[in-house]
Amino acid sequence: MGGSRVERRRRGTSLYVAWVVVGAAILATLFPVYWLFTISTKTARDAFATPPAFVYRPVFGAYREIWQAAGFGRAFVNSIVVVALGVALALVLAVPASYALTRFRTRLKRPLAVWLLLAYMLPEFLFVIPMYVLYQQFHLYDTTIGLAIMYQVFGVPLAVWMLQAFFEEVPRELGEAAEIDGCSHMQALVRVYLPVIAPGLAATAILLAIYMWNELTMALSLTFERAKTVTVAVAGFRGYAAIKWDQMAAASIVAIAPMVVFAAIVQRHIVKGLTLGAVK
Amino acid sequence: MNTTVTERDLATLGRSRPRRRWREGPWGYLAPMVVALSLVSVYPVLYSIFMSFHDWNWGHRFNFVGFANFAELLTDPNFWADLFRTIYFTVGAVTVELVLGLVLALSVARIGRASRVVSTILLIPMMVSGIIVSVIWKIMLDPTLGVIPWFLRSLHLPTSAFLGDVRWAMPSIVGIDTWWQTAFVFIVLLAGVQSLPTDPFEAAEVDGASAWQKFRYLTLPLLRPFIFTVALFRTVDCLKVFAIIFGTTGGGPVRATEAMQVLTYRTAFKELQMSKAMAIMVLFSGFILVVVAVFLRVSGRFQNDGR
Repeated sequence: MGGSRVERRRRGTSLYVAWVVVGAAILATLFPVYWLFTISTKTARDAFATPPAFVYRPVFGAYREIWQAAGFGRAFVNSIVVVALGVALALVLAVPASYALTRFRTRLKRPLAVWLLLAYMLPEFLFVIPMYVLYQQFHLYDTTIGLAIMYQVFGVPLAVWMLQAFFEEVPRELGEAAEIDGCSHMQALVRVYLPVIAPGLAATAILLAIYMWNELTMALSLTFERAKTVTVAVAGFRGYAAIKWDQMAAASIVAIAPMVVFAAIVQRHIVKGLTLGAVK
Repeated sequence: MNTTVTERDLATLGRSRPRRRWREGPWGYLAPMVVALSLVSVYPVLYSIFMSFHDWNWGHRFNFVGFANFAELLTDPNFWADLFRTIYFTVGAVTVELVLGLVLALSVARIGRASRVVSTILLIPMMVSGIIVSVIWKIMLDPTLGVIPWFLRSLHLPTSAFLGDVRWAMPSIVGIDTWWQTAFVFIVLLAGVQSLPTDPFEAAEVDGASAWQKFRYLTLPLLRPFIFTVALFRTVDCLKVFAIIFGTTGGGPVRATEAMQVLTYRTAFKELQMSKAMAIMVLFSGFILVVVAVFLRVSGRFQNDGR
């Protein structure tokens, strides 16, 4: 009896410790984002107050100003276009490929897996600098489509890893039954497999969208003005002689918001995609 | 009449067999990806290797210089210093992230029901672009604007310029990366913890094992494959670090945070020494491949030991 009470107390303590750790982690996660938000709604006097103003009268002028200043509105539209093109392209390339890799026995499986891993792992500038030179010659520099093409170097591997996992979950009999009924492999893909993996397809598209929306290195090198993305625009605020903290913070909040909402909606699938991609 | 049709049928059947195999085999499905990946990954690598043996700075001509670019880099103490900075950052960030990620995964698994909501919150930093992470932490650490220096001052603790201080800049970047990417370690290890079999733990309970013993002799070994994978992904990602340095210090102060890709960016786009920049990337990619190979070798050996 006494032993079990000690045991119970010990368990209670470990749950208590777990909550303290989780609480601290949540605070450390959210506070910086909250602070970014307060800076975006503070006047310069409130922002630079010592001690920091925890209670202040919020102003939302910066959110209005960023759409006029520094081509931020255009960058926002560019980012949407690049993400749409990039995700579409990645899915068009990766859906048939991952379907083939799960349905056919092929000797190419291993070499292709290594290739995808290398494309994903090697540093961005190894790929970007030669493409920068190439793009200058073919008028793809500073275009949204050029950037969307470049994004395939990480988009395709990510999409193939996730989609392969989703395809593998479809029972083999389903596809075989369709083929006995006279479907070709292509018809089986479109009529049987795609409807079944539709949620996985959506999750893949969203994870790709988040990665592409957030990408900086390639966008910084391959765009300049006409096609510059949100991340490049945010980086641009840094360069000014006098940093407009409120605008920079407001632009950041505007850039984060859609992705955090996206991620929250499909959290379960994203977790699955991330862990599958990592454990494979 | 009938026979001719049958004959033609037979003939086309015979002829169409290879074409049918092409259409029904994997190649038709793989070809678009192979072509696209060749353009964005194979072509640039070949071009980089070719150009790194030449001397080209945006002029109309370039000369073959053999190993001159590589020799220049390998004898440049600044290049080696930047490589060690990158390794220093990677070892620091990966270690801290693994420890915190593991602690978080175990804690969140412990609290049970609320873990879904908690994971959603903890994943937020991962959904934020590196450049915006830099904005956040430039604000947090700013000597006049920042809460952290103010907090330290109000506790009468020593503070510093953090990102502007040669000694503190790199540890600050490690801290920023920890805030940004610990969630990845956490979420993968949480999946690992939740997949652990319960039997060995119950048996250990019966045998009166302490919490530490269970952690040391059951949890850690069982999580090993997850830890290795996540460590490999984080290591490679950290070696490639760019956005959070570009956005905060730009490599400074006095090169204190100049990681390899930051050096490459400066060499290519500020100094316009294109072939030298490509040589840096060729060398560094070789280094990354060695790191990955060692990782896979070690993890393979560990997994064999475990069996």
